[in-house]
Amino acid sequence: MADLVWASMGEMARLVASKAVSPVELVRAHLDRIAALDGKLRAFITVMADSALEAARAAEAAVIRREPIGSLHGVPVGLKDLYCTKGVRTTGGSRILADWVPGEDATVVTRLAAAGGITLGKLNMHEFAYGPEGLNVHYGTSWNPWDPAAHRFCGGSSSGSGAAVAAGLCPGALGSDTGGSIRIPSSLCGLTGIKPTYGRVSRAGVLPLAWSLDHVGPMCRSAADCALMLRAMAGHDPRDPSTSTLPVPDYAAALTGQVRGLRVGLLRRSFLESAGGPQRQAVELAVRTLEGEGASVREVKLEQMKYAAGAAAAVISVEAYAYHEPWLKTRGAEYGGDVRERLLPGAFVSGADYLRGQRVRGLIREEMDRVLADVDVLIAPTLPIAAPPVGAREVDIDGRAHPMRASLIRYTRPFNVSGHPAASVPCGFTADGLPIGMQVIGRSFDEATVLRVADAYQRVTDWHTRRPPSLGR
Amino acid sequence: MASPDAPLPLTRDTLRVLARAQGLALSEADLDAVLPLVQATRALLDELASAPLADVEPTSLYHMG
Repeated sequence: MADLVWASMGEMARLVASKAVSPVELVRAHLDRIAALDGKLRAFITVMADSALEAARAAEAAVIRREPIGSLHGVPVGLKDLYCTKGVRTTGGSRILADWVPGEDATVVTRLAAAGGITLGKLNMHEFAYGPEGLNVHYGTSWNPWDPAAHRFCGGSSSGSGAAVAAGLCPGALGSDTGGSIRIPSSLCGLTGIKPTYGRVSRAGVLPLAWSLDHVGPMCRSAADCALMLRAMAGHDPRDPSTSTLPVPDYAAALTGQVRGLRVGLLRRSFLESAGGPQRQAVELAVRTLEGEGASVREVKLEQMKYAAGAAAAVISVEAYAYHEPWLKTRGAEYGGDVRERLLPGAFVSGADYLRGQRVRGLIREEMDRVLADVDVLIAPTLPIAAPPVGAREVDIDGRAHPMRASLIRYTRPFNVSGHPAASVPCGFTADGLPIGMQVIGRSFDEATVLRVADAYQRVTDWHTRRPPSLGR
Repeated sequence: MASPDAPLPLTRDTLRVLARAQGLALSEADLDAVLPLVQATRALLDELASAPLADVEPTSLYHMG
């Protein structure tokens, strides 16, 4: 039974479809694990045991009756608690929405259910997604499963998604990413997560942090599982006018295992050169691995990246403040102190500053498109560090102290600003046994190539198959 | 002597006035906590002044395809 929770989502779907495993058995195995481990991990805010078992029994009956089934039929999933769920509270990790029960599902929740996915529950997160550490004063801060002895950050804001998938509490989860909130916890928790192109996946029914920077995507234990989830979620949605009408490829079919002839651009300046030693070594080795598989590698530079932090600050501060302004004026004391302090500066940014930020995004995006005309993907570290202990405000990178938050989002935020697809893929471990992640960044709407590179790398490495030692198999 | 056209320095007092003008009632503790964050945000925004933005339109409606 314990092995079942470590199967891939694809394998779970195959086991269910062939009647080798009942969806009820699969869901019970995960619920048992949640009951055993989540008291410490605090990955879930709400466990939906009854509705999950009810859905599992219906899924089992459908298999027995030989009804047509979807690609995720009977496979459990977790939802970051900012996805609206009809009849189930959606807190956004906040006290303000502690008792809010939406009247309808987010579009991606509906689509995952249509593919046969079974929701196990709502996952912990940094309050209102406004923080890269994954702190939460209201529901407790999720515990990174890779260090059972010390309370380390999972990374945020999708901290519960990171903890749950890494610990085998669910095989895949939804995250959201405004400055790195899928890729940061994926890196710190040893997962594969992809932030798709802006407009690839609907944001309808997802609590916003910053509308023009928010991205929705999956966090799983492999690129192949991300391909499975993304295919089920992606595509135009009339409820979200920013979604593209481009067709959604069969991402799983794109996973050929081949990178021969692929042109890889290595982002050394402003990225790899400033990472910590273990991260530099792991990413260098990963690039050599891709080279060994037939890819050609050359260094590339993104000159306009120096403006990414300013552009992101202009946009996120104003958009987040605009959404929260009514509550800040009437229920300000109900926010966690760190989130309230981060929201308030948006009140003091002018309209001209905001639009300058949006114009700079155009500049950054244009340069990214130009660079990606000559290479197929870019490679960079996801983070300069491994999981820090909860409470740390600074991190040490090669003997120098750096501010925690800025360090966590430095390499991920530029691709929210540009909107390009970016995945984080496990590529090694520190001497302390903490995971290291590598980013694969692609052309707009070319998630297929990003996932192909990630999957090809995972076919010749085993970083993504390792499990947190104390949790066992 | 500073020019009368020079921007006012960002202090607790100017922040308090700006906040009140928007209907935000910030306590003295709030002002202490938020002032350095506003200053840091302003510093980041000032970096954008040198960006070559001629003919670049805002991407506030951010359709990519």
